[in-house]
Amino acid sequence: MTSGTATGTEGLALRDPHTPDPTLDRPADYLHAEHTLRSWFLTTDHKRIALLYLASITAFFVIGAVTAGLVRLALVVPDGQVFTNDTYNKLFTIHGVVMVWFFLIPSIPATFGNFLIPLMIGARDLAFPKLNLASWYVFMTGALFTLVSVVLGGVDTGWTFYTPLSTAFSNTWVVPALIGVTIVGFSSILTGLNFVVTIHTMRAPGMTWFRLPIFVWTHYATSLIFLLATPVITVALILLIMERAFHIGVFDPAYGGDPVLFQHLFWFYSHPAVYIMVLPGMGVISEIVPAFAQKKLFGYKFVAYAAIGLASVTFFVWGHHMFVNGQSDLASVAFSVLSFAVAVPSAVKVYNWTATIHKGSLKLDTPMLYAMGYIGLFVLGGLTGLYLATLAINQHVHATYFVVAHFHYIMVGGTVLAFLGGLHFWWPKFTGRMYIEAWGRISAFLIFIGFNVTFFPQFILGYLGMPRRYHIYPPEFQFLNILSSAGSTILAVGYIFPMVYLVYAIWFGRRAPANPWDARGLEWTVASPPPAHNFLSEPEVPEMPYDYPIQARETGRQHT
Amino acid sequence: MNPTDLALQLWPPSASATAAETDWLILAFTVLTLLLTVPVFVAITWFAIRYRQGAPANRDQSESRSVLIEISWMLIPFLLTLIFFVWGARLFFISKAAPADALVIEAIGRQWMWKFQHPTGQSEINDLHLPIGQPVKIRMTSQDVIHALYLPVLRMQMATLPDRYTELWFKADRSGTFRLYCSEYCGTDHSKMDGNLTLMSQADYAAWLQNGQALQGGLAGAGRAVYESYACGTCHDPGAVVRAPSLAGLYGREVRLADGRTVPADEAYLREKILNPNRLKLAADYKQVMPAFRNVIPADDLDRLVAYLKSAGAQAQQEAVP
Amino acid sequence: MSAGAEGAEGVGVALVSHFATVEQQRHAAVLGMWAWLLTELLLFAGLFLTALVLRLLHPEAVQEAARHLKFWIGALNTVVLITSSLTMSGAIQLSRLGWQRGMVRFMLATAALGTLFLAFKGYEYWADYHEHMMPFLGGRPYALESAPASRLFVNLYYVATSLHGLHLTTGIGILLAMTWQASRPGFLARHQNRIEIFGLYWHFIDLIWILAFPILYVVNR
Repeated sequence: MTSGTATGTEGLALRDPHTPDPTLDRPADYLHAEHTLRSWFLTTDHKRIALLYLASITAFFVIGAVTAGLVRLALVVPDGQVFTNDTYNKLFTIHGVVMVWFFLIPSIPATFGNFLIPLMIGARDLAFPKLNLASWYVFMTGALFTLVSVVLGGVDTGWTFYTPLSTAFSNTWVVPALIGVTIVGFSSILTGLNFVVTIHTMRAPGMTWFRLPIFVWTHYATSLIFLLATPVITVALILLIMERAFHIGVFDPAYGGDPVLFQHLFWFYSHPAVYIMVLPGMGVISEIVPAFAQKKLFGYKFVAYAAIGLASVTFFVWGHHMFVNGQSDLASVAFSVLSFAVAVPSAVKVYNWTATIHKGSLKLDTPMLYAMGYIGLFVLGGLTGLYLATLAINQHVHATYFVVAHFHYIMVGGTVLAFLGGLHFWWPKFTGRMYIEAWGRISAFLIFIGFNVTFFPQFILGYLGMPRRYHIYPPEFQFLNILSSAGSTILAVGYIFPMVYLVYAIWFGRRAPANPWDARGLEWTVASPPPAHNFLSEPEVPEMPYDYPIQARETGRQHT
Repeated sequence: MNPTDLALQLWPPSASATAAETDWLILAFTVLTLLLTVPVFVAITWFAIRYRQGAPANRDQSESRSVLIEISWMLIPFLLTLIFFVWGARLFFISKAAPADALVIEAIGRQWMWKFQHPTGQSEINDLHLPIGQPVKIRMTSQDVIHALYLPVLRMQMATLPDRYTELWFKADRSGTFRLYCSEYCGTDHSKMDGNLTLMSQADYAAWLQNGQALQGGLAGAGRAVYESYACGTCHDPGAVVRAPSLAGLYGREVRLADGRTVPADEAYLREKILNPNRLKLAADYKQVMPAFRNVIPADDLDRLVAYLKSAGAQAQQEAVP
Repeated sequence: MSAGAEGAEGVGVALVSHFATVEQQRHAAVLGMWAWLLTELLLFAGLFLTALVLRLLHPEAVQEAARHLKFWIGALNTVVLITSSLTMSGAIQLSRLGWQRGMVRFMLATAALGTLFLAFKGYEYWADYHEHMMPFLGGRPYALESAPASRLFVNLYYVATSLHGLHLTTGIGILLAMTWQASRPGFLARHQNRIEIFGLYWHFIDLIWILAFPILYVVNR
């Protein structure tokens, strides 16, 4: 057993987390270093860029959430009286496009990753700070194109842009939306490139690979997916734009092209993209759980290897989106078994977190509540993914509400809850202020309950056979749909709460100490908010990560 | 049983041995997942209470063989779930190997209707009548975008692709009326691309083939689907952006033509105006913009469309829309 | 300011403040460029894969279309680009030795060869236009109308080669801008590694063409 010893120069705060740290004899923190608008929009400080991302993705989350609310409103009645079919189709398309490409994919990496990776590995910034700023501008340019397509009248192809509907049949603004999504891909690539190089080259003395926090490991794995999968969707989208603008014919059966080829290229990216959303969330939870159990993460090396392993295997399962699309049966079987091979190891991560809590010293503060909610929802999402990977079940529930429920459990239950948990965990670090704990707990409960009431009925709807993307649906499904819509109102309230009290805390919250949670990790050794150049002197890392007071003695090759 | 009779159902009806086995598969899988997860949920809750900060509890950390633990809790669930992979793959292969004596139905998906053709030549729109106790194979293709034929009661679906044929087969064992859907998003009226699957005894099926049209409300009901599928309403519905003559009450009325003649809008007139709208120009002040449907609309669809225009339903629906 | 690994007089890399050491900074720059090139390679791989899928689906039509490609211009352009890689390597070697004037000349030669490639490519497009081999132009008749699937391959050829041309044009632009910077005194003492990093990118553009030439021109003949 080793007790936690603080490293770096700000270690004082570790011992008494509730003493406000002295703020006078310090260089200005990154928030107060400069005040001009220019100092924000032309900043190369990874922490400020992270906040730029945070503001933009929050705006997109609001757009995505409002359209989701309208979709749920429409589905209260079965006969499609609320909107026209076209409007409904545009609403769910905007919801999907905005949530997937402009919220979920950048959510944790571009905000927390940007802010925390240099702090966690003891670097002064990312390797390429200007590139980092450029990637935000690239992101906003892509977003602008997509918003233009929405303002002009919207898109109705679904976020998956399947051909030939998207190329030859849709009469909506497909090309600007596609250009937007293509550009955003480059933003992801640049972010991933920056992370990979930073993690490889910028680690502080003593920060060996197996002293990296799991958060850094999962972001490393995510960055590899950014680098290896994003270019494939970029080229698929370029071909799609060319197809729609010049009728080049590659996806057009009229000329002998193959519409299913697009699905292959699309899912070759978009299945790994699920892990772009999931892995960073796992990283966040792997930081929160040990901090609030005051105990070392169970099976650190396994979790680290698993992140890399998952990121690799996930490239070989894209075909499970096409079991009923005329793919060869043998290919389907191979994709099915590989999907089992990737889903089970991700789901059993939950055992690691449970084992971490075992015999810990638990504080059930807001981040921990979110983390526990995450574990519950993620398990359900992961296991229903196994149902979908089972060929015979997939034949029935493919493209029904079962799928909708499944991926919302993964994406909302997984990514959004981890995002909110991380936001509460690191908010004091970001802003130097504490939020009001009671409100945080209430919102965590509301979101957990609201989410389940919204999406659990959709599993049943799907098994009953209600297809997804249906504006008009058979009346026998109305009860469950109303239940789901009712749940979404609870969920909405749960989302609004943090937006209010977290923003309120920026100005009126109690000042946060450097380490309010008594957590380990280099980011907690610097002041809250951190100084502009992160570390006043270069930190040295003498010990393993998760150096908490309670250490299970693990045999095997855990302590190397 | 009419599918709309069920106000709230929690388990869907099934009508084939494969469908029943799929249900068993998912139930058994659910049992396994509960075995794997309920302990976790119980443990998390229990630990949260027992080991909360300040609570007196034994926090002695015993030696734990973490490598062994890790490998076992990764491998054991994986191997257990593989049972379901094999079971699912077996069912999948059964559903792929159609017997040689299967009744072959040709299905065509188009925006936004289904057309099914029986081996004896009869065809129907959106609704499908099939016999039970006999293997049925549906061979399908699409005329435009990708659709998917989904028959929940048989726990089956298959995409229809524009450039090739796909198929699914089953042997139904229970009669009744159930839903069928398009499950692959296909544009504006995707959610209207559904219908009823009626499973009936072989004797009833034979009788239906003899007298089919009467059973399903005549050609006119199917004609409404044709009317929507060819987007006639984009111009002809009241309030449409492109102003075209209203079709309400047209059948049987006298129409004045540009050359001064007055002709009755009989069946021959309706057919001629659909196939070749530039002939027989109307006297009224309309721009002649309608495309010719000769070689576009198949003869049987034209029959349905004309039947719809002749029917009282068309008159009512056209007038009901404000 | 600190000397680079090669150690020649007046050659090195200036430390940017957020790096701890020059070594770290150089390592980061090289790794960053490799990561970018990996991404780019996968971008083109998607196109090449599609080309091969087309060949499997429609072998006759693709061969018919490939016969209309100007094999000799493609071959000549391959030689031009390989030569440009050679001159770029020369520039890198000279930069390590600190021979600034020679390096600038080699860089200009590289840019000239790149431009020559674009000129040949432009001539090839122009000839294709006159032979009615641009099926994506809606209003213009297409020479191989009898084999509709051939248009897929021809169109893909334009997407792939124009994307490559875009990379080359960008490369020439950056190269000229850098040549201008590099002609000023003291450049090699501060930014020698920029030449090396850019060299990686230039060789990559060359590599893509070396892949594209057989995949588009040769295997389908």
